[in-house]
Amino acid sequence: MGLILLRVANVLQRLNTRVLWIGTSLAAVAITLMVVAILVQVFFRYVLNSALPWPEEAARFLMLWMTGLAAPAAYRRGAFVSIDLLEFALPRRVGAVLSLLLLLIALAVLGMALQFGWKHVQSGWLFNSSSLKLPLGLIGMKAVKIKLAWMYMSLFVGFAMLAVVNIELILRSVLKVMGRDEGLDPLPVMTIAEAE
Amino acid sequence: QDITLRATANSNENDEDYDGLVVFKNYVESASNGAIAVEIYMGTQLCSNGAECLQGIADGSIDIYQTTSGGAAGIFPYVQVLDLPYLMKDDRTAEAALPGTFTKTIRDMALEDSGDKIRLMTIGNTGGWRNFANTQKRVQTPADLDGMKIRTVVADLPQELVTTLGASPTPIPWPELFTSLQTGVVEGTKNGITDIMSMKFPDAGLKYLTLDGHAYMAAYWWMSNDSFMALPEDLRRVVVDGFYALQQATFASPKRKSIQAYEDFVANGGDLYVPTPEEKDAFAEAAAPIYDWFKENVDGGEAAFSALQDAVAKAEEDINAMRDQEIN
Amino acid sequence: MLIWFLPLFLLLLLIGLPVFFALLAAPGLLLWLNGQERDVALLYRNVYNGIDSFPLMAIPFFMLAGELMNRGGITLRLVEFSQAMMGHLRGGLAHVNILSSMLFAGLSGSAVADTSALGSMLIPAMEKQGYTRRFAAAITAASSVIGPIIPPSGIMIIYAYVMGESVAALFLAGIVPGVMVGLSLMLMVRFMANRYDFPVASAKTTWNERGQASLKAFFPLMTPVIIMGGILLGIFTPTEAAAIAVAYAIIIGLFIMRTLKLSDLPDVLSRSAATSAVVLLLVGAAMAFKTVVSLSHAPQILADIILGLSENPLILLFLINLLLFIVGMFLDAGPAIIILGPVLGPVFTDLGIDPIHFAIIMSVNLTVGLATPPMGLVLFVASSVSGERVETISRAILPFLAMEILVIFLVTYIPALSMTIPQLTGFAN
Ligand code: NA
Ligand code: NA
Repeated sequence: MGLILLRVANVLQRLNTRVLWIGTSLAAVAITLMVVAILVQVFFRYVLNSALPWPEEAARFLMLWMTGLAAPAAYRRGAFVSIDLLEFALPRRVGAVLSLLLLLIALAVLGMALQFGWKHVQSGWLFNSSSLKLPLGLIGMKAVKIKLAWMYMSLFVGFAMLAVVNIELILRSVLKVMGRDEGLDPLPVMTIAEAE
Repeated sequence: QDITLRATANSNENDEDYDGLVVFKNYVESASNGAIAVEIYMGTQLCSNGAECLQGIADGSIDIYQTTSGGAAGIFPYVQVLDLPYLMKDDRTAEAALPGTFTKTIRDMALEDSGDKIRLMTIGNTGGWRNFANTQKRVQTPADLDGMKIRTVVADLPQELVTTLGASPTPIPWPELFTSLQTGVVEGTKNGITDIMSMKFPDAGLKYLTLDGHAYMAAYWWMSNDSFMALPEDLRRVVVDGFYALQQATFASPKRKSIQAYEDFVANGGDLYVPTPEEKDAFAEAAAPIYDWFKENVDGGEAAFSALQDAVAKAEEDINAMRDQEIN
Repeated sequence: MLIWFLPLFLLLLLIGLPVFFALLAAPGLLLWLNGQERDVALLYRNVYNGIDSFPLMAIPFFMLAGELMNRGGITLRLVEFSQAMMGHLRGGLAHVNILSSMLFAGLSGSAVADTSALGSMLIPAMEKQGYTRRFAAAITAASSVIGPIIPPSGIMIIYAYVMGESVAALFLAGIVPGVMVGLSLMLMVRFMANRYDFPVASAKTTWNERGQASLKAFFPLMTPVIIMGGILLGIFTPTEAAAIAVAYAIIIGLFIMRTLKLSDLPDVLSRSAATSAVVLLLVGAAMAFKTVVSLSHAPQILADIILGLSENPLILLFLINLLLFIVGMFLDAGPAIIILGPVLGPVFTDLGIDPIHFAIIMSVNLTVGLATPPMGLVLFVASSVSGERVETISRAILPFLAMEILVIFLVTYIPALSMTIPQLTGFAN
């Protein structure tokens, strides 16, 4: 039993390490493009004296994807803020059971988020973005407005990745309660965080 | 009561929308003998813009919602037909033309495009008519707008209109418009008088207002089709009558509110200019290419445009006949 | 009864559920139990809608700008500048520590970044001059809370967004209170310096040397001028100002001061993205939470409770100070302001407190909480930077905390301290 869990945990660990690395890298690209979009906006407004309609919405689009892609890695590194007084105050075993319980609550929230997120994405096919177009004019076709579903997908993808991370954390936690977690790599830790 | 209808509008309690909702609530609650309760949420408590709130209408978490044409343009681009300039002469024409076949045409188109989720209930007014206002000089002819930086929302039609008139469209978010006028980021804006005064734009240097009345500030009132159709037929009748009362209230309210606003504008040293019929014609002529642009570039534009044109023609005919009866 | 989501939320928070999940789990569960499934959909959508915001974009940008400046050796220039200005005083390095934090605050919105950047440089230097390590760590932690009070400020961007206030007005309102915290700490250092005979850091610097140091610190010191100047003149929005700060940090780091390497960028970018993603998700969850606050009529219920305690705004403000101080001991300022703002803000605005003044009361109160034992975040950072135990730093910081509490009271009861600058510049009524 423990051995099977350990194997599954190992697979998830490798999967998450890779997927989250890709996610974080894409998020880094997204934040770069956000800065570029806003600088373009300022440049066109002041230097060329003609405002562009799309940079604001494009930057928001990128920010949503940055959030969805980067948050799961941060979660795995323990960067989600919580009050962890109680867990430390409790004896080790009891503390481990408590943190398992907390992870299960988080999983329930993520399950709910996935269910409603999917509906949200579906409804997004009805709505056009107000300024973002696929420039099909370049290849002789009419430009097509981008559907908001492409924006909505950002958080859905983020919640899906969070759910996978959460399952890995649950397995780790179960193995810890069983005292069999020595076979796993330690989780990476995020050094400095917070807006404060 | 068994049924609660949750209504929201993104404006505040000083707005025409609120007046309409209060009338609606009062009518529906008493005419249904308490079978329906109406909860009003003003502002952004539930959702904060057109796309967000119409999502709520589509999935039934919000029952009733008001948008301007810009707010609904992302899903129903053809509702912007009411942003087209100089199609309706005055309030009396608009109030006769909007109900009836025009509203029905848009309702059918919207139901179809939303997969039978979003139902247009009625079209009212929110803030009177849009006029050109600026910080620079009195605008009497389209040539006076040449090269002027005019604030618009982020949407094709208003931007195209400003370009057609020879000015330069500048998208600025509403909350930032004051400072943008103050610092010269934009020189003009197209708004109703009550919005101009409630945002204190004269303090930012907005001095010249030309009453060209280039667009009707329409308020589209939407309802979740599922919530509406779930009502028994007698209660549907009550709700429909409630929207009629709401519409009448929003027709009346801006007229009353704008009187004080115009007085305040002039008292603040503002320059209020009423263009002559010839000057108005010149504006209409300069803006005419936008009609073709609208029909070609906006999905459903052709259908909405002809529906409005027919309704206006019919309304003008009826009004003229009635007026003839009344003056003789 | 929907209103039970508030106590449930508190319970989940106290047993250690991450704030993000607690903000969704508590209202979600009660809506579901109440049979309001359509409102659970509303809850989800408003998480998304809450993040989809242009003003909020200033947060990732300011974080990125701060990281870039840090990486680019700008901190060192600020410290050298401070040393040239105040190093000759008794207790010189302690003053330098405080002044550096005030200057650093103009570039960064983060107390944590302040503690780790300045602490790693100044704590060893202070030790070498004979200060105790616990004192050095304590003054570092105490002065770091100036970071989010003097603009730019992450928590003020969040508060402005969640409460619908102007970011520019809050930034401007924070200037005087931030400077007051700095001066009050210097006052305490001065008092202690005479009493405990603190060392001076350097012989009196000549004006020539001061000029040199100013020149070297010129480009970093221009950052706040560009940010606040641009916002004040209405040239750009806070979000645009933040993007310009990023560009400025890259240009001076890569080309002018040449302290930043291109190869540093990927790491800086992904760290900023990850850190902002956490904050943005939190803001989204808070906006969703706020919707349920409205649906449950919680503000009216709470207003009745609060007004039942007293109707005197002065007494209520004191109780708020107390509440915020206690909350600040256990919860970081960002999440705390997100949770308490929508619940408390409307009540006090109705009592006639200016919303901007109230925002500053909350911000100053909660940021000081960052340095308050037992759970103050910067105490832990100061501990890991210095190697001193949290308990020891907690004791050494008490005199400085006393000064900061004094400033909290002044800011609370004298609205003019926060309101004058935004009023004079036309950003508040
Ligand atoms: Na700051
Ligand atoms: Na410091």
